[in-house]
Amino acid sequence: MKRLLLLTLSAGAAIWSAACGGGSIVTPPPPVGKYRVANLNGQYAFVTNGESFTGVNAVPLARTGSFTADGMGNITAGIEDVNAAGAPILALQISGGSYTVSADGRGTLTLNVMSGGVASPINFGITLTSGNDGLMIDETSTSTQSSTGSGNFIKQNSASFAIASIAGPYVFDFSGQDGASPSGPESIVGEFTVSGGPITSGVEDVNDNGQFTTAAAVVGNFAADAVNQSTLTGFGRGIAQLNGVQYVFYIVDSTRIRLLNTTGGAMLSGDAVAQSNTAPANVSSISSSFVFIVAGSSGNGGITRVGRFTANGAAVTSVLVDTNNSGQFIKTDTTNNASISLDAANPGRGTVTFTDPHFAAAPFNFVFYLSSPTQGVLQETTTNNGAAVVVADGTIAAQTGSPFTSGNISGTYALNWSGLSLQNSGSFSVQDEEDLLSQVTVSSLSLSGAADIFQFQDGVPVFDLVTSGSIGISGDGTSSTASNRNTMSVKLVKSNSTTVNFVVYFVSPQLAFFANNQDSHRTVAGVLKLQQ
Amino acid sequence: MIATIRSTAGILAFGIALGLGISTSAQVTKQPEAQQLRTYDVSRESFLLGTVVKFEFASGALPMGAHLTLQTSSGPIDVHLGDAKVLRAAHLELNPGDSVRIVGEPLSLGDSTYFAARIVQKGAQAVAVRNTRGFLTTPASSMSLADKQALRGVR
Repeated sequence: MKRLLLLTLSAGAAIWSAACGGGSIVTPPPPVGKYRVANLNGQYAFVTNGESFTGVNAVPLARTGSFTADGMGNITAGIEDVNAAGAPILALQISGGSYTVSADGRGTLTLNVMSGGVASPINFGITLTSGNDGLMIDETSTSTQSSTGSGNFIKQNSASFAIASIAGPYVFDFSGQDGASPSGPESIVGEFTVSGGPITSGVEDVNDNGQFTTAAAVVGNFAADAVNQSTLTGFGRGIAQLNGVQYVFYIVDSTRIRLLNTTGGAMLSGDAVAQSNTAPANVSSISSSFVFIVAGSSGNGGITRVGRFTANGAAVTSVLVDTNNSGQFIKTDTTNNASISLDAANPGRGTVTFTDPHFAAAPFNFVFYLSSPTQGVLQETTTNNGAAVVVADGTIAAQTGSPFTSGNISGTYALNWSGLSLQNSGSFSVQDEEDLLSQVTVSSLSLSGAADIFQFQDGVPVFDLVTSGSIGISGDGTSSTASNRNTMSVKLVKSNSTTVNFVVYFVSPQLAFFANNQDSHRTVAGVLKLQQ
Repeated sequence: MIATIRSTAGILAFGIALGLGISTSAQVTKQPEAQQLRTYDVSRESFLLGTVVKFEFASGALPMGAHLTLQTSSGPIDVHLGDAKVLRAAHLELNPGDSVRIVGEPLSLGDSTYFAARIVQKGAQAVAVRNTRGFLTTPASSMSLADKQALRGVR
């Protein structure tokens, strides 16, 4: 509780005031754009992953739920399930709430969660990426709970709120922490096929605290929650069993399900995405450039890798990777021992490998599952002397729309990053979670907009930072020239300013992944997504 | 916890650690690839005995996180303690002059070499800052069932 008592708005803004000696507070110009409150209208399935503090210790926190927006600024219904450090709290009713949407798509979302018979608010910053989806960060900071985390929300199709809607093959990626004591990081990627509830086939790759399980079978089923039957038809919510572990799930529509594990003391969450029948079955049919991003844990702390490669059949070329291993930045440019393969027995599953000439003893290895020829998930499986180097997973996506230029990298974008940074904690500094959500206009590769940031050590978010910066295009992101990276610089100003520098990989003019490539006191990665 | 500490390799491995150049004065030596790629292996663990010279919740040294400069009989050593919040949650204060015992092993990151602590022991109190596979713990890593029950109020 001591920490909560120390939390004041002035303390929350301290890091922005202290950085350069203090100055007058600046505010972003009035928002302009096409969005309005009516754009958020309907049922949305949301997820966030971050941290919570209720008076003892900060603990990891994952949320999955559904809220109903009436298009007029009111939340009329909802439900959420949370998992705090492996302790699940299920089927919390959302009794109401409110939201705002500014012209630029930024806004606020308050959900009144029934907790102990009392409606208690949780607060989010949101940025719409369309009327159907958006990015969000948890900005809850009350007398009883402070919580943060990054996530998103997607409009649900209530016509799909039935077990029968979950049909066919799905690719999934769950990440978080295992149920051991002391707990460790865990990643599970795989695919399963569902028919009428039961999983009829499936395969998964697990990295549990550095222990690999490769291409293991997946068994289980999807069903209504026996305790809360009506949540299936009301919110698309049910209970899944996957290899003996229970998950709560939310149906977005027949192509996407959001899951959160609820047993075993673990905290794992992620999405399952329908696999199209066009996922490549033979490596000879692969002819694409791919961007990928993974994040997780190494023995040093947090780690991010963002990069790209070109695959033409089994041949892989033009591999670029930027790693931030807990403050150590590594640029990899290679074609050494680079190849890709597909698992004939498991459609969509494959592996990609390449070697950084500076670390020849430990070739990079990844296992991936494609949900389509252009989308998938991947897990790093790099080892050194048989030991896992990291526990990390993420996204792989085919690169389209290049070359990327000032002509096509243009418009309004939602921007979100999450990770660890060095933060002011009174008399000393400590690393803690950092989440930022912004909306920026990109014109002539210059950024301008506004952002909220939550550096969790402060206990309170800082709102409406003036955001500016630039994108540096040094090619289309496919060059094998070592220095030829695309970059992004983001300057945040409240009373004073800080600038964060990133390497950025464009998937398309509409989407990019980025990670900071300077400042050894920050390990963050994020997404830049065009607003529709 | 004590049993775990006693099972470590002891003084011999400590000598090896010093040979790998983990003294604070050797941090910028370019490390060979094999050393940079080395991952944590509990079978290689050793322990350090020494006196705290400096403790930093967040150091300028790599990797990110809390660092300790430990004065040992063989010189000062940079010890990476991981997430400082773990120590704070355990109410373990480290001040100059404190005598401590560190279980862990030497690792490298880039041009920096450091002693990766798994267990920090001061007096009778021992705190795990890494798990046995070398991944950093968090304040929540070792929560008891009762501690987790207390999280039922999280919403």
